[in-house]
Amino acid sequence: MRTEVGDWIVGPMMAIFGLIGLYVFGKANDGEMAVFGASLAAFAVVFVFGLIRRHYDNVDAARAAAKDDRHG
Amino acid sequence: MTFRNEFFEKNAIFLLIGTLITVAIGGIIEVLPVFTIETTVEHVEGMRPYTPLELRGRDIYIREGCYLCHSQQIRALRDEVERYGHYSIAAESMYDHPFQWGSKRIGPDLARVGGKYSNDWQYAHLKNPEEMVPESLMPRYAFLQETPLQIFDIADRMKTMRDIGVPYTDEDIANAQVDLLAQANPNADQTKLLARYPKAVTVSGNGEPTEMDALVAYLQMMGTLVNFADTNTERLRQ
Amino acid sequence: MAEAAAASPPIEYNMDVVKKFIIASIFWAIVAFLVGVYIAAELTWPWLNPGSWLNFGRLRPVHTSAAIFAFGGSALLGTSFFVVQRTCRARLFGGKALADFVFWGYQFFIVMAALSYVMGYSQSREYAEPEWHIDLWLTIVWVAYLVVFLGTIMKRQEEHIYVANWFYLAFIVTVAMLHIGNNIALPISLFSAKSYSVYAGVQDAIVQWWYGHNAVGFFLTAGFLGMMYYFIPKAANRPVYSYRLSVVHFWTLIFLYIWAGPHHLHWTALPDWTQTLGMAFSIMLWMPSWGGMINGIMTLSGAWDKLRTDPGLRFSVTAVGFYGMSTFEGPVMSIRQVNALSHYTDWTIGHVHSGALGWVAFITFGAIYYIVPVLWNRKALYSTRLASWHFWIATLGIVLYIVSMWVAGIMQGLMWRAYDQYGFLQYSFVESVVAVHPYYVVRLLGGLFFLSGALIMVYNLIQTVRSPTTELPREPLISTRPAVAVAVPVAGE
Repeated sequence: MRTEVGDWIVGPMMAIFGLIGLYVFGKANDGEMAVFGASLAAFAVVFVFGLIRRHYDNVDAARAAAKDDRHG
Repeated sequence: MTFRNEFFEKNAIFLLIGTLITVAIGGIIEVLPVFTIETTVEHVEGMRPYTPLELRGRDIYIREGCYLCHSQQIRALRDEVERYGHYSIAAESMYDHPFQWGSKRIGPDLARVGGKYSNDWQYAHLKNPEEMVPESLMPRYAFLQETPLQIFDIADRMKTMRDIGVPYTDEDIANAQVDLLAQANPNADQTKLLARYPKAVTVSGNGEPTEMDALVAYLQMMGTLVNFADTNTERLRQ
Repeated sequence: MAEAAAASPPIEYNMDVVKKFIIASIFWAIVAFLVGVYIAAELTWPWLNPGSWLNFGRLRPVHTSAAIFAFGGSALLGTSFFVVQRTCRARLFGGKALADFVFWGYQFFIVMAALSYVMGYSQSREYAEPEWHIDLWLTIVWVAYLVVFLGTIMKRQEEHIYVANWFYLAFIVTVAMLHIGNNIALPISLFSAKSYSVYAGVQDAIVQWWYGHNAVGFFLTAGFLGMMYYFIPKAANRPVYSYRLSVVHFWTLIFLYIWAGPHHLHWTALPDWTQTLGMAFSIMLWMPSWGGMINGIMTLSGAWDKLRTDPGLRFSVTAVGFYGMSTFEGPVMSIRQVNALSHYTDWTIGHVHSGALGWVAFITFGAIYYIVPVLWNRKALYSTRLASWHFWIATLGIVLYIVSMWVAGIMQGLMWRAYDQYGFLQYSFVESVVAVHPYYVVRLLGGLFFLSGALIMVYNLIQTVRSPTTELPREPLISTRPAVAVAVPVAGE
């Protein structure tokens, strides 16, 4: 399982949504926009973190697999 | 040329376009003409946009989901007209963005509830419906009386309504807060308000309007604007 | 040793996103049924309305959204991703990130919508209550969903697109059209949740019910027909009954359904010509609907005995039966004279739930009972007996629900129009409220039965995934190969 092209499109897209969420939260006129903006920002952070984590998990797994191949 | 479904089954884009065209037809023929046929919204006298206080009341009606139990549409059926009054005509909801005709009656229809009960009855009923109607299923809305009405954005709301076709004048918008406060205060001078909005009902506030004041103002004008004595069924034909 | 020819590498499907959607669907089912039971209780004993946030008026859209979009929607998205991959023999287009975005983005939509209703933000459009900002978010997620689904079809290895995918695709694109058309609204400011629809009055009414009826027609019907067209033939191990029927009923169904909206507005200020068109097309709609029913049920030809042994299949086939019932009742209720009695009454509620519980929920349960052992690589369901219990308890619940609502609804309609011997209206409105109270109790009981059945399902599925009794047989731990390689003479050497 490798990091794919899709990761590089969805990641930045989510980051932009997160920033929009934060902006909306800052200027919210009512409780709902505040909740929505903050939630969107939090969601984006967690999602992008998940993408990054999976990327480095893939890198580690590939490195481990390569090591096994050499020694096995 | 015979219809071959293969044409669509082997090509996803053709299937998508074919589907989209097929499902668009009904909307074009049924929905569009309701906007374009001139007689759909009848020409009657008396209709006016909501006052600022009524508009806020309507927003609260929508927020609390009142439309889920109460309809606002009297059908052209004999027993219904007898129970609720003249059947509803399209013109009466022409400024209702969004419409509140409703689709269920757990409680009675409200299309002509305006003036049917006194202001005091409406306040008491909203606070505790069971007290006025012992068998009622309606929840209590006493918290509306405890909640001060937010009025800082009333001009924004009216401007937005104007942008989508409701004929508020510059004067209406400039006097939004003044009119709202006047309508919620029986001791205030109502003349300017009534000049701008005939048949607006003053509610029993003390000058610091609550959400319940707004809702009662809205309820008390419902169905009162059009004088059906001045028109006839021929003129109401769509 | 001669080597066997290398087989083409097995396709690595993205089943992780399918698993997520199935789990979500089951979770939201319980939420939807629980909220449904609670609001039914509020209608039966109004003192259960605690004030503001959890009053019936704010909670009802939580129930309808949870049932349609959270439970139904997650099931549709999940099964559509399963079916499109398997029938196209292609891994999901767009990679893991896009699929995860569709999943988490959709769950985010659900949570935000439900929260907004109880906080007091609603567009008051049935089945389209979320405010403009949540509508926008859903549009983004939906576009991503279409990209993934369509992209997968386009990279298929099978030449023909399987019938289930026509229905899923029709569901996706039509819902997009309806969602965008119905929700056009102007917010009072970019940073306020409150908005006003650009449509008003009678024009708003026709747009809302063009949407509302087709939310039923495409979200709850076409999409779930897609589910039916895969999971019934698969579970029965039989081909679909008639290819020609599926072609004819597909195109006529999606064409006719759109016109049915006005039957929600009979006798109102909607112009007569529109009402008549709506009625005529609603009646015609009976045909392609029953075409689908026939196709689904007759697929069991040669495999009827499986209904005794496979409770999942029993759910699916019963679902198609309820589908037939609801799609007969609907056209009947669309007749103006019938509608004059039924509109605004609990008969409408009964009709909705025979479709929602009998068709939508049951076909979903059938699909879930099939798919969970497959997805988690288990031998079979933990207990077919428990699944059977679920079936009977849920069916009893449905019967209690719809019969009580039929009686209540027709009673209301008759009471509202009754005249006494002096020519006056015989009953006050509140007398009709009192009269239906016992039926509200029965309805609540029906809902409780349905919820209980679903809880049995949850237990059964958890055990299916975790219990050692459902594990597939593993490779033996002790190797049976000899310790030292022995030269084996091969022909030709």
